[in-house]
Amino acid sequence: MTATANVTMPAGATPPASPRDAGVKRRRRGRFGDRVLPYLLLLPALAAILVLLAWPLVQVLAISFRKLDIGQLVSGKTIWIGFDNYTNTLSDPEFWTITFRTLVFTAAIVAATILGGLLLAVLMRHLGPVVRIIVQVTLVLAWATPVIATTTVFQWIFDEQYGILNKTLDRLGFHGFIGFSWFSSGASTLSVIGLLIVWQAVPFVTFSLYAGIIGVSREQYEAAGIDGASAWQTFRAVTWPAIRPITTMVTFLSVLWDFNAFAQIWAIREGGPDGESTTLAVVLYLKGIAGNHFGAAGAIATLMLIVLALITGRYIQLLTRTREGDLS
Amino acid sequence: MRKSLPQRIVLSVVGVLVALAIVFPTYWMFVTSLRTPGEILSPKYDLIPTSISFGNFATALGKDNFPVYLMNSLIVTVGSVLCALVAGTLAAIPLSRLRFTGRKGFLVLVMVAQLAPVSALFIPLFLLMRDAGLLNTLPSLLLIYFATTLPFTVWMLYGFVNGIPYELEEAAMIDGCSQTGAFRRVTLPLLGPGLVTTSVFSFITAWNEYLFALVFIQDKPKETLPVWLASFRTAFATDWGGVMAASVIYAIPALVFFLLVQRKLVSGATAGAVKG
Repeated sequence: MTATANVTMPAGATPPASPRDAGVKRRRRGRFGDRVLPYLLLLPALAAILVLLAWPLVQVLAISFRKLDIGQLVSGKTIWIGFDNYTNTLSDPEFWTITFRTLVFTAAIVAATILGGLLLAVLMRHLGPVVRIIVQVTLVLAWATPVIATTTVFQWIFDEQYGILNKTLDRLGFHGFIGFSWFSSGASTLSVIGLLIVWQAVPFVTFSLYAGIIGVSREQYEAAGIDGASAWQTFRAVTWPAIRPITTMVTFLSVLWDFNAFAQIWAIREGGPDGESTTLAVVLYLKGIAGNHFGAAGAIATLMLIVLALITGRYIQLLTRTREGDLS
Repeated sequence: MRKSLPQRIVLSVVGVLVALAIVFPTYWMFVTSLRTPGEILSPKYDLIPTSISFGNFATALGKDNFPVYLMNSLIVTVGSVLCALVAGTLAAIPLSRLRFTGRKGFLVLVMVAQLAPVSALFIPLFLLMRDAGLLNTLPSLLLIYFATTLPFTVWMLYGFVNGIPYELEEAAMIDGCSQTGAFRRVTLPLLGPGLVTTSVFSFITAWNEYLFALVFIQDKPKETLPVWLASFRTAFATDWGGVMAASVIYAIPALVFFLLVQRKLVSGATAGAVKG
């Protein structure tokens, strides 16, 4: 801790002599104050992260090994039961069905989101400025419409009697759709939910990828054109390498968000009909809060974290490594 | 990349069709909110409204104290965003401008915290808030939205402060400013756009939040807009005009915020995340 007071330069700039002098002067004036200052400034953020994020994370793990129902909650008694919550959860065939459903659902909507975003971003590069701005404004509108407002609109669009979708299908000659209920089976309910999640998630992905695409220099595309590359070859050789890191990042974020999606699923049909659109996030809510089985829910939360870690582990590893490289 | 005229026309048509598909749900929300209940439930097929009525907005605003829910949502959202901005800026300054032991560790902590799926934490947070006597109060939500948006806020602001050349502060110090004074007078004003962009993201997160608001608040008058809107829909399932009008009102603050900083959104969002 000898050079604590030294100021840092923004990355990339060569440090001129003056800040060092300033640092020396400051150090002479208030060594102790300077040393404590950064920690004082960090304190609010650090405290919030530790108390409201890190500690609860440890707690989830601890709770998962306890019997913690409404009785223990009121009496305040701590009963450790080892792996019982886990064995109970894992031996329930329903849990495996729901886990499988959650994974398929997540994979499907992540794939649709990324593919849709990628296609749109590439399309935007080829559009004239006027049409491009129109597309961008519609994307921003979709992005900014709050989640629950969106679920209400989708319910209205898919309403069996008055919904515009059934009316349109009827007009197009599919008369069987008069009075058709999109929420009568789990599969079609999940399809509607998936569609609405994708609709809301695509704008962020599109904008991120588009930012990457316009970062590619014009010359690279011209060179590809001169070499006579086809559109697909140009994409493979020029666009894709430039946007690959962004694609990985948005895929990772989408997995995190979609795997944990709750609001849309709950607000549409509360996991119904007959639990057929229930996902792990919904089970977590049902067990923990609605059913007051906090210990069992803790086990489910931990299992969810493990599954997420397994899916995204490789990327987190990569991320931490580059970040640490950045920080030095 | 020059394109022939037919190519450009085809692309433009595709672009417009895509735009129409994307905008349709939002459009349908607005259009439905402007129709009379009679029109909404008539078997007629009209994509473009023939008449406009604001009756649904009156219904929505008059329904069980809508202004109260709006206020609740504004309090927790604005409160948490302000807290996150203050704590985030305080943290971003030393992270970017000073070297100290534990700096790296803190940055890694922030990054990991950013990845933690918050929904998995609601049981311990529920117990924590209960023990603190904050359950069923708006401050419990405010605190949680503050904490969940904080890692992201720190990360973004750290990037923004890094982007402001330190030479500017130096120049001010040569002119006689203290280091604190130089930061306050030079860097802080330049940080404005960064603060706005960051706050939009936090605003949207808090404005949208549903799970914690659903779990932590038991008294109806303390609910926030998303919870109220979801229950409004089930309780008055047939009043689609009212629901759509309420949805429109709920969407407006978010839309305004987004459109204000539209251009900066993405550069801001990706700046911190995609260096690797």
